[in-house]
Amino acid sequence: CTSRFWFNYRHVANTLSVYRSVKRLGIPDSHIVLMLADDMACNPRNPKPATVFSHKNMELNVYGDDVEVDYRSYEVTVENFLRVLTGRIPPSTPRSKRLLSDDRSNILIYMTGHGGNGFLKFQDSEEITNVELADAFEQMWQKRRYNELLFIIDTCQGASMYERFYSPNIMALASSQVGEDSLSHQPDLGIGVHLMDRYTFYVLEFLEEIHPASQTNMNDLFQVCPKSLCVSTPGHRTDLFRRDPRNVLITDFFGSVRKVEITAEALALHRGVAALESKFPEEELATEPLKYAEQLPVAQIIHQKPKQKDWHPPGGFILGLWALIIMVFFKTYGIKHMKHIF
Amino acid sequence: MAAPLVLVVLAAVTVRAALYRSSLAVFIAERVEVASPLNAWKRVVEGLALLDLGVSPYSGAIFHETPLIIYLFHFLIEYAELVFMITDVLTAVALYLAIQDFNKVVFKKQKLLIELDKYAPDVAELIQTPMEMHYIPLKVALFYLLNPYTVMSCVAKSTCTINNSVIAFFILATIKGSAFLSAVFLALATYQSLYPLTLFAPALLYLLQRQFIPIKLKSRSFWLYTMQYASLYLCSLVVIICLSFFLLNSWDFIPSVYGFILSVPDLTPNIGLFWYFFAEMFEHFSLFFVCVFQINVFFYTIPLAIKLKEHPVFFMFVQLAIISIFKSYPTVGDVALYMAFLPVWSHLYRFLRNIFILSCVLIFCSFLFPVLWHLWIFAGSANSNFYYAITLTFNIGQILLISDYFYAFLRREYYLTHGLHLTRQDGTEAMLVLK
Repeated sequence: CTSRFWFNYRHVANTLSVYRSVKRLGIPDSHIVLMLADDMACNPRNPKPATVFSHKNMELNVYGDDVEVDYRSYEVTVENFLRVLTGRIPPSTPRSKRLLSDDRSNILIYMTGHGGNGFLKFQDSEEITNVELADAFEQMWQKRRYNELLFIIDTCQGASMYERFYSPNIMALASSQVGEDSLSHQPDLGIGVHLMDRYTFYVLEFLEEIHPASQTNMNDLFQVCPKSLCVSTPGHRTDLFRRDPRNVLITDFFGSVRKVEITAEALALHRGVAALESKFPEEELATEPLKYAEQLPVAQIIHQKPKQKDWHPPGGFILGLWALIIMVFFKTYGIKHMKHIF
Repeated sequence: MAAPLVLVVLAAVTVRAALYRSSLAVFIAERVEVASPLNAWKRVVEGLALLDLGVSPYSGAIFHETPLIIYLFHFLIEYAELVFMITDVLTAVALYLAIQDFNKVVFKKQKLLIELDKYAPDVAELIQTPMEMHYIPLKVALFYLLNPYTVMSCVAKSTCTINNSVIAFFILATIKGSAFLSAVFLALATYQSLYPLTLFAPALLYLLQRQFIPIKLKSRSFWLYTMQYASLYLCSLVVIICLSFFLLNSWDFIPSVYGFILSVPDLTPNIGLFWYFFAEMFEHFSLFFVCVFQINVFFYTIPLAIKLKEHPVFFMFVQLAIISIFKSYPTVGDVALYMAFLPVWSHLYRFLRNIFILSCVLIFCSFLFPVLWHLWIFAGSANSNFYYAITLTFNIGQILLISDYFYAFLRREYYLTHGLHLTRQDGTEAMLVLK
């Protein structure tokens, strides 16, 4: 989500809905980079704090207890987004903010906000162009950072954003064609803003029916939100994709589905291990087994209470102070009192 | 007079002990009006804890007490409450004895001037009688001990109490006439918070008066005595500072204590005037304004010395008040000290012009301080300007109180020498105006 301000509530709700579906289908937070440009749940204008709703009548709160936002507020910039994609990140960036993908990863990128012909607006002050995005994807391809990439964009004139892609294995969906505006779905009178955009609303409805074992393919996703419901014409682009979209499962991108084969037979392992063992007894290793050098005896330290070093004022100080006090006393009251004290 | 004093002391100790055991103790200890960064108890405990961990307490920006306080509390920290109560009692007793002696001096001087016919004939009602002066020392002790400001300061365990007691002993030593002891106590007071340096002038004037040395700039004996006193004072100050060096074997305490007092880096709100100014000021000008504000404290000494050279104890009172209004981190404990002297000048009551309004202003502001603090910090519906307005009003009230007393004092002196019913040259009734 790239928009700030309260009236762009729907963009945050869009992103959080997709986040929710993706998590529900099995992708963990460590594999999700969530960027939200503004905080709607704790916005002072939110009449229902700590919630972000995506349905009228507040049926669905997409801001639950387990939403992990990786890039928030002013960290959502074009530079950070491109750095995440290409991996050119300063070494001090934590793991949760990195896209740790390799050449077997399928990546889903969902972007929403305000856009135009060839650009997407970030934070009301800068833009990312379709050329930049295409180049970023090409860098990802060259660095083998993805196997297949699904790019969904829900903004006005969204199709312009995928026009310039030239890297292989990218499939793209957009909510509207060039020259059309994507419209929002429903305003909520209780909260006072539009809760979602139409395209994402219907995508969410579609995704709610997907479960980890479903065999629905991409062609069904392309049919979501026809012009009669969406007012804008959603578009898609599959020419760069090597596989036929009919064979691509939704869960390939939206869910984390692993192929598990259950086998009933036992595998014999000892043959290899026995071979290894027979080699070694000849070489009597006389040296001690290598241990990690204990440079810092951590176990000792954490179980040890800090030594109470009692500070005492130095003897010279005490002597000096009391000598002075006695001198003052005798100077004022005369030396004749000495014989009464001693 | 011992018995009523003991009674007052007992009452005061009971009040303090009761407050120590109640839940208000924590609340009072955190109030910014009572505990400033210079004398908060929290910081003393922190400094001692740092010392126990082997780190110099002056290494951070938390601890701004002198090494002698470290030494004192290193051994007495478990009995801290008792120490503060005893300190308060000692202050009150010192003030009591000092004012007793001072009354005798005043009375003697009055008698001398009457015999020398220096007074106008119709001022009989202005002369102070022993009857009315009999209860003044007790009233002073009472004012000090039962003043809510002092009680709060003691319950908060702010080291302002200790500073007050050193100043009280200094006043006692001065009035008794012992130059050596007064120099030593003044050095201790200056060593702890820098501003009692300005009390050097009234003390010197008093001691000169006591030795019957006339205050003329050309007189040799005047300069001799001044040099003696100044050298006593400076030597004791130097000795105390060198001794403090040996406590931690470092000179760290000088920037932490005196550098902190003079350069005012900590802008926590308090009842003074510094914090708001320096919070809104550009960095470029802050050095200039720090110098201006600090000079403001020391600046009134010379004109007051010239005007009040016959009345050094009143000078001391005014100077104490100026210190507690214009110092960099004032607390209500400082205010309590000079307020304790007000009974000494109760004979000026008939000349005070605005006493009702001023006492109302001071009382209202004292009540409004916690209210506006709550509104600013907790409720968020006010901002710092509100709190600063009350600070300003409180300080204006104090300044007007002091100038009112100053006016009343001078007016009485004038009437004493020129008669009560002043007439202008053409015979109509005249009014005295302080220009």
